[in-house]
This record gives sequence, structure tokens and C-alpha cells, in this order.
Amino acid sequence: MKKVAINERPGWRQYAESVGFDFHTFDGEAYWDESAYYQFSLEQIEQDIEAPTEELHQMALSLLPDILADEQKLRLLEVPEQYWDWLAQSWRTAQPHLYGRLDLAYHGKGPAKLLELNYDTPTSLFETGFFQWVWLEDQMTRGQLPQGADQFNSLQDKLEQAFATMPLRQPCYFSCVGDNIEDKGTVNYLLDIATQAGIDGRFLALEQLGEINGQLVDNDDFPVQAMFKLYPWEFMLREEFGQHLLTSDTQWLEPAWKMLLSNKGILPLLWQKFPNHPNLLPSFFESPGEASLRSGWVRKPLYSREGANIELIDPQGNKLVVDGPYTDAGFIRQEFYALPKFDQSYTLIGSWLVGDNAAGIGIREDNSLITKDSSRFLPHIILD
Amino acid sequence: MSRSFKRSKKAALILMVPTATLLMAGCSSEEPVETAVYQNADECAAYYNPPAECQAEFAKAQQLHSQVAPKYQSQAECEADFGTGQCEAPVATLAQNNSTATDPAAPAQQQQASSGFFMPMMMGFLAGQMLNRGGQSMSKQPVPTQPLYKSRDDMSTYRTASNQPVARQSGPVSVLPSKMQPKAGTMVRRGGFGAQAQQRQSSMSSGG
Repeated sequence: MKKVAINERPGWRQYAESVGFDFHTFDGEAYWDESAYYQFSLEQIEQDIEAPTEELHQMALSLLPDILADEQKLRLLEVPEQYWDWLAQSWRTAQPHLYGRLDLAYHGKGPAKLLELNYDTPTSLFETGFFQWVWLEDQMTRGQLPQGADQFNSLQDKLEQAFATMPLRQPCYFSCVGDNIEDKGTVNYLLDIATQAGIDGRFLALEQLGEINGQLVDNDDFPVQAMFKLYPWEFMLREEFGQHLLTSDTQWLEPAWKMLLSNKGILPLLWQKFPNHPNLLPSFFESPGEASLRSGWVRKPLYSREGANIELIDPQGNKLVVDGPYTDAGFIRQEFYALPKFDQSYTLIGSWLVGDNAAGIGIREDNSLITKDSSRFLPHIILD
Repeated sequence: MSRSFKRSKKAALILMVPTATLLMAGCSSEEPVETAVYQNADECAAYYNPPAECQAEFAKAQQLHSQVAPKYQSQAECEADFGTGQCEAPVATLAQNNSTATDPAAPAQQQQASSGFFMPMMMGFLAGQMLNRGGQSMSKQPVPTQPLYKSRDDMSTYRTASNQPVARQSGPVSVLPSKMQPKAGTMVRRGGFGAQAQQRQSSMSSGG
């Protein structure tokens, strides 16, 4: 694993905009960064990332029956009680799931460490599945990269296959909060792939959902039979419309049971069930009134996105805090594990799953040890 | 042995690129369906339809009336759209066990509902596919029998409850079935999801 500088493709920004990648630059800062790429060996990809990704996924799935049968665990994860039966039913009836992303810390050797699971609303999908794929083809065509280069990125192929084969009711609505361009970009990409797979998919802003007698309806008052939503389950359960989830005959992507796996509380539960697993870091639920954070530990809210509300103290006692809006739920503590540093940047690997299969990686870089919404996305290649 | 690639074989976009936005077609190929509009069962029978069938279709439309009619909080709001004296408080028509034996002269047995809503009076009905009996319709979607209304600013046009113009006079008419699908009143609540994202600063992505 190494970082290699490379010439940017001339005119890539115009190309990005022409394919709907409007958020390549965010608040004047580069988000898509192709001034360098990461290079892995095939062995690093297959043994250290692909295989552990699928194993960690199976470990996480194995927790679900335990959690759903255990009131105490449901309370620890702060799942509102009125949704317990409904949630259990989504698991019991094997509601299909589409995708997820594990965040891994990996130094090029030794086991990759699981930092967290993004199993409900993972983003950076378009950058990974489409834009870095095109980047590799372009750079090989231009002779900037050798012809034998490859990429761990079967994300779009696998998503298309998943849409073509999963039992999905139609039409399926693809939705997010209407005014967020990054979320809209991700939803548009999935809608595009689903359409290519022959699905009757339509966009609907989440605010426009209606309700008649407990059934969620679209703009024309027709029942919403299936919906992909890029919006956190934990928000939906706590909003006024949440009550209709219990009565509406609607198939959800991700299915309701996925909310349990996107909860940071899954990290201590994994550590309890698989202590000392090489890909796990020691993690515990924070008890109320517990002493302040010690050196070498990280504190994360049960529900948090984009690095928000994370507090970290490295083994030297340096403290790093990211503010955010997720202060209204419990916390977990996870042992500090340093991200690898390349040049002046810390590097995180987002490892994707489609269904239960590993499907590729996307790399994020940040100047700090906490990866955020604004962290840069860099492409990668496989070359031995 | 050639190793298999770790990347997608292709990565195409069909919707996100402007040149390919022509996928929106598809709706225009619908075939119109022959049906008819009448003021009431008597007018239906005057057009040489079997009176019993006219009565049955009219009763069906009446029964749908309270479900699909646009609803208003006040009589004034309703009359602003449908004209003075053209609105009524909602009534729920009781389903009758022996509807086939109904005497056309007897008034429909109705029960006053207790809700405070107002809705326009039914001005006629669409006779569904009564005329197509026996013949197979080319359309996949049937045209349901339903009540029709007339708005204050256009008293000569029959409209569906969802404000689709149907005909300017009684008699046969051809319609697109997709435009004639009754929907449950306007009791719908809007709002959906998104409030939490608003509270947690609107610039934030919901993803992670």
C-alpha cells in the first residue's frame, strides 16, 4: 500500500458536472482529489480487506437474533419500545438489504481494524462505484497508468445485479431530504442503476410523503409499496410520521433491521461476542456518570454521522473533538487505533458490501484523525 | 489462467447524463376507452341503457361520492369552488343487502355523518365500462364508475373528483383510463420525514 502522485485529467471538473457529480468541490475545498492515488497489491486487497469485510459482516449479522430477543440490548441501543415488534418482523421475514460500508483502518500489513459500520445510509457511493472507475479507465487510456492496473471496485456491477434479482415491489421510490445535493447525487445514482436493472424507480422527496389511514402515499395519493430512503432510521422513528411506519404496507431499503447494525452500540456487542478478534478493537458501552475519557480512547455517540460528536484522546494525551448535533443519545468507547499517515494526511478505507458480498473500496483522507463529511476522496488501483 | 478483474465490467449511466433523459416517455401510448356520462339513472335509461343497470351504476357512483369528493373545512370554502348552494355536509351511504331489488323511486337510504366537512354535490356520473359489457377492452386499466362534479367557474363541464374534465354534455365519451382513477378524498396528510435533519442543521448530509 502506497500513495503515488499523478497528473490530474485535464477538464475532469467539467466532466464531473456533466455526469451529475456536482459536489466534487465542497465549500471551496476539494472533495474529489485526483492529484494522487493509492496502490495496493492483489494480496493486500483479497486477504486483508475483501475477506475480513465479509467475515465482519457475517459476525454483525450473527448478532441480530441475540439483540432482537434481548430487551436489555434493545434498550442499550436506544431503540424506542413501540418499534420492537415491527423491527423483529423485518428480520424474521428476511427483508432483503442492499448495501453497507465498513470503515477500516489499514496500514498495508497486519489486520485491518473495524472502526465502524455504516449500514443504514452509507454515502460516497457514486465516487466509488462510478467516478473512480472512470478515472482508472481514463488514466490507462492516457498512458498515465499501466494497462495491467485494476481496482477493487465491482460496486456498480453488484448493485445492478442486486436490483435485478432481489424481491423488490414496484414502483420503488428513491428518496432523500430534497435540498441536500450530496444525498440527491447518491440517490440519483442508485435510481440510475436500478433503472438499468429494469426496476420501475421514481424519485420522491421525503417531505412530500403523505399518509392516508396509516398508509404512506406518493404525490398522487397512491400507496408507496417500496421505498429506498437515504435518511437515518433513528430520525424516522422519532419524527411525527414515524407512527405510520407501523401500519404502512411498505417495503424499505434499507430494511428496518439494518438500523441495529448502523448503531455504534454494535461495536461493543461485537467485542463481547468475538473478544480479541484480530479485526476488532476493544469497545464498551459508556455507563452514565462514567469518568472522563482516558488517553488512548475514543468516544462516539450511538447515533452519529460524518464524524460528528466524536471525542478522541491519543496515547500521548492529545485531545481532538468534533462538534455536532448528536448529543441526545448514549455513547460508546472504543480503543484508539491510529490511522496510517501518508504525506500530511490520515487515510481511512471504506469497504463496501452489496448484499453479503464485499464489493470494493473508496479511500478518504483528512488532515486530522477524525474522518468527516469534508474529507477528501482519492482513487486507488491494484497493481502487483 | 487469466485472473478475473476486481472491478466492474462496465459503469454506464442512463439517467444522470442529460443526453439520455428521454426515458420519460411511455405514458403516451395509452388507448382511450369508450364510456358515457349521465346526470342520473333516469337520463342513463333515456339513452337506451337497461334501467336496472343504470340504477346500479348510479348507486355505485353515489356510494363513492362521499369517499372521493374534495373535502372542505367550511361551507364557504367549498362554495368558493363549486358555487352557492352546490355544497353539502358529507353523508355516508349505507350499503344495502338487497341492492338489486331496490325500487328506483325510493330515496337512497342514507345516514348523516357527524364530521364537520363540506363537499360539492354530485352532478352526474361516469358509467364506467357499462357499455363495454361482453366486449374486451384493449386497456389493461378499467374505468371505474364514479361521481362527477361541476365547478363554479365552468358549470358546463363534468369533472372527476380529482378535477379531470370528462365531458361537456351527457352521453358517450372517450377517456384515458389513467386519468379516471378515483382516489380517496383529500384527507391526506403531507409532511413525510425530514424534521430531524432540519433541526440538526440543514447543510448536513444524512449519509455517513
